Amino acid sequence: MSSSPLPGDASNEQSADRTGRFVRQPNGRIRPLSPHLQIWRWHVTMAASILFRVTIGAMSVASAIAVGWLAALAFGPESYAKVSACLGSPFGLFIAFGLTVVLFSFILNGARHLFNDTGRGLTLNSANLLSNVAVWAPIPLGVLFWVLLFATGRVSL
Amino acid sequence: MSGQNTKNGAKFKNNVKISERHGSGEWLIERVALALLIPLGLWVLASAFSLAGSGYDALLTWFASPLNAGLLIVTVLALFTFVSLAWKVIVEDYVHKPFSKTLALGALNLVFLALAAVSVFFIVRLALGSAPLPAGIGA
Repeated sequence: MSSSPLPGDASNEQSADRTGRFVRQPNGRIRPLSPHLQIWRWHVTMAASILFRVTIGAMSVASAIAVGWLAALAFGPESYAKVSACLGSPFGLFIAFGLTVVLFSFILNGARHLFNDTGRGLTLNSANLLSNVAVWAPIPLGVLFWVLLFATGRVSL
Repeated sequence: MSGQNTKNGAKFKNNVKISERHGSGEWLIERVALALLIPLGLWVLASAFSLAGSGYDALLTWFASPLNAGLLIVTVLALFTFVSLAWKVIVEDYVHKPFSKTLALGALNLVFLALAAVSVFFIVRLALGSAPLPAGIGA
């Protein structure tokens, strides 16, 4: 159950602390740390929210790269061969790996955002769970995607 | 309209103030685009997986399918709609000077509009099996 400390001396209730923000003040009293710009503890919900903006930025770059790829294809076999050689180089594969992680992140974080927009999944536990999935899952999914690509022989170094 | 009245110039519906400009419409369009992009993004990943490592001819065969080309056009339009509205929200959060804000939003919209138009142009050409560019425009 959530139990935020009441104002006044009731905030001395360390047993009710779920925030980990209680500190011993210079006068020896134990008080909750005042929230301030530099003192905020990172929450995964914050991380997911900020990461979604970062992901949108990365998706914008990814879409520009995808348009470049489409252009190379539309300009014929010679230009496509050049772009495909770039993509197949180690650095190109690294960028392509990044793009798949970005796309997984966009899908998962977008799904979390839409779900939360309907007013669901906003309790402490479910918001944390959804945010953790949206923040961390893209990395193993991206790795799995590329492991399968290499394992099936579609891509090789 | 029933249930809608006006107080001090603001419009109310069932005593709830309704959006005075187009904010709520843009909010809704952004969510609809995002809802479209989730299945389409998975489809893009699946297509990328199956097409990875295939050559120019296999890619042209893929683009020749109207379903693939059509879905890709929907993806591109939903993506650039979403991205431009999302950037609008980001710019409005951090850029406060009217001139800079208008400039940034205008520039971003112009870039995204150009990218969307060019993508649709390329996809349609690839779907129709047109001769490689610049055939038809210049050379």
